[in-house]
Amino acid sequence: MILFQGKIYPESEQERLIASLKDAIPSILALPPLQPEMIYRASERLYQRLLQGEFDALAAPLLALAHLSHDTFLAYAKEFSGAWLKKKVEQELGKDPFARKRVAPGHAVERLPLGVLLHIAAGNVDFLPAYSVLEGLLTGNINLLKLPSGDKGLSVKLLQELIKEEPSLAPYIAVFDVPSTDIDSLKELAHYADAVVVWGGDAAVEGVRKFAEPNQKIIVWGHKLSFAYANSKTSDLDLAALAEDICLSNQMLCSSCQGIFYGGDDPKDLSAFAERFLAILERVNAERGPASLGMRSKSALAVLNERMEGKGEIHQGKGVSAIVYPDSELVLSFLFRNVWIKPLPEEKIVEILKPYRGYLQSCALLVDKETRVKVLPLLLKAGLTRIAGPHLSLSLPLEAHDGEYALLRYSRLVDIEE
Amino acid sequence: MDRADFKPDSIKTMADLIKIPVIPTLYFKHHELASCPKKKMILRVTSSGTSGQNQSKIGFDLYTILRAWEMTKHMLHYHRLWSLKPTHFVVFGYQPHKGNNKAIAKSAWGFTFTAPALSKDYAIRWVDGEYQVDLQNIEKKLIHYAKGHHQVRSLGFPAYTFFLLKKMKEDGVHVTLPKGSKMTLGGGWKQFYAEACSKQEFYDLAHEVLGFQENDIVEFFGAVEHPILWTTCSKHHFHLPVYARVIIRDPDTFEEVPHGQMGLINLLTPISRAAPLTSIVTDDLGILHDEDCGCGIHSPYLEIVGRVGLEDIKTCAAGAEDLLKGKKA
Repeated sequence: MILFQGKIYPESEQERLIASLKDAIPSILALPPLQPEMIYRASERLYQRLLQGEFDALAAPLLALAHLSHDTFLAYAKEFSGAWLKKKVEQELGKDPFARKRVAPGHAVERLPLGVLLHIAAGNVDFLPAYSVLEGLLTGNINLLKLPSGDKGLSVKLLQELIKEEPSLAPYIAVFDVPSTDIDSLKELAHYADAVVVWGGDAAVEGVRKFAEPNQKIIVWGHKLSFAYANSKTSDLDLAALAEDICLSNQMLCSSCQGIFYGGDDPKDLSAFAERFLAILERVNAERGPASLGMRSKSALAVLNERMEGKGEIHQGKGVSAIVYPDSELVLSFLFRNVWIKPLPEEKIVEILKPYRGYLQSCALLVDKETRVKVLPLLLKAGLTRIAGPHLSLSLPLEAHDGEYALLRYSRLVDIEE
Repeated sequence: MDRADFKPDSIKTMADLIKIPVIPTLYFKHHELASCPKKKMILRVTSSGTSGQNQSKIGFDLYTILRAWEMTKHMLHYHRLWSLKPTHFVVFGYQPHKGNNKAIAKSAWGFTFTAPALSKDYAIRWVDGEYQVDLQNIEKKLIHYAKGHHQVRSLGFPAYTFFLLKKMKEDGVHVTLPKGSKMTLGGGWKQFYAEACSKQEFYDLAHEVLGFQENDIVEFFGAVEHPILWTTCSKHHFHLPVYARVIIRDPDTFEEVPHGQMGLINLLTPISRAAPLTSIVTDDLGILHDEDCGCGIHSPYLEIVGRVGLEDIKTCAAGAEDLLKGKKA
């Protein structure tokens, strides 16, 4: 499905529409600049319709697929509300962000959009492609969106409804369903863009580098790995809340907990901690209800295989596991309520984690106050960008993204001599 | 075996089969497992993993190959797939090439010997040192064969076949292949999982474009880790053949679940003497059905529902199109 100038087109029109961007872009750039207030209002009206349940039917199957509750849906949706977007713009770009500001006599600075953004969206979070475009709009850009494969139509629907609320946004949004293998079309789209915004893993980023122009700006929102940090003093309450987060997210987000680094390296302590956490995880899992059969089967096979490989000390419960490894490598877990537990003594935090700089994001810091004072600066020095409590996967209000404000990256500063 | 505390003597009846430790197919992808010296393995095949690193490599000795041949002979005989009539073979898959050890390519080639071959055409041809998809040629040949008198047999991935049928429909093709023609499908439904309706859509399309009756469509299933030629009955069900057994297991406990319930598919067969393929567990979910489907075969039948992991069920069309777009680039 293609969304172009506010209208839906069949895939057969794709080549023609992409080619038409050549003439369309200069004429859109000649229009008066997009006003953020216009976007706040349109988005707010959309949010109100969402609160009234208008999009429930569309969202329900997606939520069921990801095993997310309706409350989580509403929490995510809140980030589309007008008031929230206004706060976001002020937080990220400051008050009155697009006004020309005099910094010295005869010298003014003005923030402008980059121009045209090509968003290469990932398929792991359904709201994300539309949200990425919204961020592009807030900074006044023209947005070309390549849908992730397996997109179920939510992005087009949301953006189409946004255009209905504010028809003047139509020229600024174009959504294409180009497969990642159609390099020629992607090359052409990139050619029209001032920056390529890529969401996804290393493979996706490498893919973009292949078709982007040599000096093209590439804005990477890469895949990240997050973890918890605990020690012998970590409370059962915190571990139960962490277990909740693991069950809720099924460890599928960049910010969800893949495993627990334990502040110590005595194998006996690690085993005892694993037993303790497993009991809590098993209890919470039973309360929450199991992951889907497909998820449970996938991780059961992975754990069985690990057992056959003779790797790790496996502590397994019903539908969950905690596997103790002697190394301190930061890796993806088997997902779906299976965590690794590894030693990471305080004094080794920077040395061990630093090499993972490109993959570090969140840590659920679940230690006593004294340890926290010592450990927190070390985690930050290692390169983490987010320190949270046990509910690691839930976003903090107006948080930066992987240590940066998206809106800053989607805009540029121009110096003007007056 | 020792770690699992398994004693071969403990297997006395069919009910004891559940005690045989299972090996996940995942494990075969990282280990070349063998039960006899390597020099006795006269045939080595790989699974059709697309990336190359994730392929199972399985060896076969002469004894196992002969047994597999006997099995194949009987299965094809039982399902009346041997024919003495001259036949045009159309394979929606790889043309054989000495560098291609994929089991699927080898079985497709083997299939072209089920009747005296007048011709053999392949949708994925070996041209100038690389594989190229050439559906145009296949379409042309099928139209040509429809005008003749000799039966046609096709074999291929359901996804490719579906895509070709769809394209032929778009091109306005409506022909009827000569009497005795059969369409056979193998290599997994991959993109077609869990959509009973889509299979019907498939049969309807095959009827509309090439004049196939539902009975003319036969499906195969097997794997390098489980080299048994499962063949569908006239009602499109995979009944347990005498050569294999299935245990559907609960992923949490690995205990057997009652028939009719979904779980991990554990495939058992004594066919191989060269590799430990006796009891493997695939990364598919399935259901064993007891009800009599009316085809005349009374053994339970296996329904393969989908791959483990996230439920990401696509429609036939989207899946097939993705596959082909991938091939094109």
